Amino acid sequence: MSDPKMKFLVVDDFSTMRRIVRNLLKELGFTNVDEAEDGAIALQKLKAGDFDFVVTDWNMPNMTGIELLRAIRADAALKALPVLMITAEAKKENIIEAAQAGASGYIVKPFTAGTLSEKMSKIFEKMNQKAA
Amino acid sequence: MSDFQGMEDLLQDFLVEATDLLSGVDNKLVDLEKSPGDRGLLNEIFRGFHTIKGGAGFLNAHELVSLCHLTENLFDKLRNGEMDVTPVVMDVILDATGIVRDMFGSLERGMQPTAANPGVMSRLRAALEGQLSDGTDPAATAAVAAAATAAVAAAVAPEPAPAQGVPSAAAAPVGAEPDWVSLHQAVTGVVPSAPQAVPEPAAARSANDAGANAVVNAAFGRRAGDRPGTSAPAGRRDAEKSRDNSIRVDTSRLDQVLNLSGEIGLTKNRLTSLRADILAGKADSDTLHALDAAVSQLDLLVSDLQNAVMKTRMQPIGRLFQKYPRIARDLARSLGKDVELVLAGEETEIDKTMIEDLSDPIIHLIRNAVDHGVETPDERMAQGKPGKSMVRLEARQEGDHIVIMVADDGRGMSAERLRAKAIEKGLITDEEANTLDERSSLNLVFLPGFSTAATVSDVSGRGVGMDVVKTNIQKLNGSIEIRSTQGKGTTFVISLPLTLAILPVLLVRLVEQHFAVPLSMVREILPIQQEDIQEVGGRATMVVRGEVMPVLPLARLLGWPQKNHPQYGVLMQSAESSFILAIDSFAGREDAVIKSLDDFRPKGVAGVTTLSNGQIVLILDMKELLSSMGDTRGVSRSSLIGNIARAA
Repeated sequence: MSDPKMKFLVVDDFSTMRRIVRNLLKELGFTNVDEAEDGAIALQKLKAGDFDFVVTDWNMPNMTGIELLRAIRADAALKALPVLMITAEAKKENIIEAAQAGASGYIVKPFTAGTLSEKMSKIFEKMNQKAA
Repeated sequence: MSDFQGMEDLLQDFLVEATDLLSGVDNKLVDLEKSPGDRGLLNEIFRGFHTIKGGAGFLNAHELVSLCHLTENLFDKLRNGEMDVTPVVMDVILDATGIVRDMFGSLERGMQPTAANPGVMSRLRAALEGQLSDGTDPAATAAVAAAATAAVAAAVAPEPAPAQGVPSAAAAPVGAEPDWVSLHQAVTGVVPSAPQAVPEPAAARSANDAGANAVVNAAFGRRAGDRPGTSAPAGRRDAEKSRDNSIRVDTSRLDQVLNLSGEIGLTKNRLTSLRADILAGKADSDTLHALDAAVSQLDLLVSDLQNAVMKTRMQPIGRLFQKYPRIARDLARSLGKDVELVLAGEETEIDKTMIEDLSDPIIHLIRNAVDHGVETPDERMAQGKPGKSMVRLEARQEGDHIVIMVADDGRGMSAERLRAKAIEKGLITDEEANTLDERSSLNLVFLPGFSTAATVSDVSGRGVGMDVVKTNIQKLNGSIEIRSTQGKGTTFVISLPLTLAILPVLLVRLVEQHFAVPLSMVREILPIQQEDIQEVGGRATMVVRGEVMPVLPLARLLGWPQKNHPQYGVLMQSAESSFILAIDSFAGREDAVIKSLDDFRPKGVAGVTTLSNGQIVLILDMKELLSSMGDTRGVSRSSLIGNIARAA
């Protein structure tokens, strides 16, 4: 399932952070990465392009990560898309909220490529189980 | 040497973006003071700290993370309506923001920031628990102060622990959460330690706390307000230089550059093929016509490309302006004045290198406006003015110049008082004072050693005088002037060239040699008739439309012998003087690309440029030439035309 050609969308309003995530993904062998500055732009891109994986921040202007997640889950064409939340929100309520909204995974900043890889392989595993 | 080996790129990116973000936060804080209940603002500020925290985590800047974390938590409570924005809370937040900026400073120098001032950290925590006493208690008596010192000392000791504790607690869920699903299931059950719980400092809220806060506030709050002036140690220059190397450019502008270089490539191909034709002997009128067309097109494209490349260096001046409302606010508060800094023209674009060099002069002008320019609310009321004073910072483009104005609606400047002051300080003589008109009198403030405040306050009187402001502006090939109406206010007008890289010049000729003078100083060119030159007070002068101007021969300025009777005069105007530069002839104007003479710089030469015909020409620095002459009032008539008159 972890095809290196998978297309990622990295959503964060802080370009430094997008670059960090992009670099970490590159370390893991994923080079097909697009970026979006907020949830609204991300949703537009998702609807237009064939993305396989979304990595999103929580706190963003216009449309937050959690709103984006809900919108994805509510969209028939997108609802199966794995969504990994990467955020500095380490509060219990936030994690629960994300879980309830249907996040596929949750990473608290800062993290390493190792953490990212671990979380992603868990998500792939789960997806494969479902597919099987 | 650097704490960030291997992460320099990331660090630079972070700093550029996070500094912008923090300036935005600063501005929003000033707005927040006006409308404390604004949820949108609270949300945006929360997000600012949150984002900075996230980025700082990757740089392992733990101290920055803990500080942002506390501040963010505070804003979380504020935006959720669990707390109200009170002036005390506001002060804590502003102090915290100041420290974040300091920490950026150490990051810029490649060092991990040290722990935030424990006083601010403990006040942040106190604010979080809603236990921050309002500083209205005037308890700072000697006895309390002594107790407070002890309390502060106590607060220092436990500090490192929480500072370490917060990031590790924040990071805990990463490692501690083994499986997403189990966590999901844990929703109803007991969840491991709530990471946001902030360790309570051992220094419990004692009765002395109010005093401690007051003392800590006095000791550090002051410094927060003063930062702009004190943040100029030698190290900063280096950091700025290293940051100079990178620039953020709108991709559409880069696309334009790419597009133009592509078209130039095509035109080059056309020229190459035409050359082949011509070398093969095909030189009919069609070929020549095509050559002409291709060269014209290349001409157009290259100048477009130059413009486009220049534009990549242009940045909106708003980036610079952003940080000023906060500075003005802090200053006004410390002086007991009510000042609003109004920004206008933030979208005006200006060369990036200039933005950095303008920062300090503008800070100084704003300080000056708030400190000396505007009156206290009481004084204003007494004069029938609104209690709140406005300081306006505005930028706009006027032709090939950028104009920046700092205008206040304060008491204005008195030419009379300025003259008296200058005489008292021994800067000018009585006689000189009498000859000064209104404008020249105002310009006295630019003299080194001049300060109008009767008592030098620690705000504006920092040893950096207006003369330094002026020197800095002049270094950018700009000028500064003052307009002031007594009782109505003072406006400082800075005028700058659009860019430093290209300088429009006038080419003048002396004997067989060409020189370039900055076109920005040239007002007009006049023919010189021998009989027009009159001698006033032993100086050669010319009357131009009723105005008497000294005539300065270029030969004399350069130390050359005067061989010919000068045919033309160039009326030059700089901020402090107008004069006629006498030359043999002129050759037109040109956009000079300045090449500086790095190691070897003769006095009075700003640089060199290459003309279209390949000739190398010196660009003259008029101000330096004038000062090297010592006496700028002119030369005698006979030395100018004497021997020629004899020859005639």
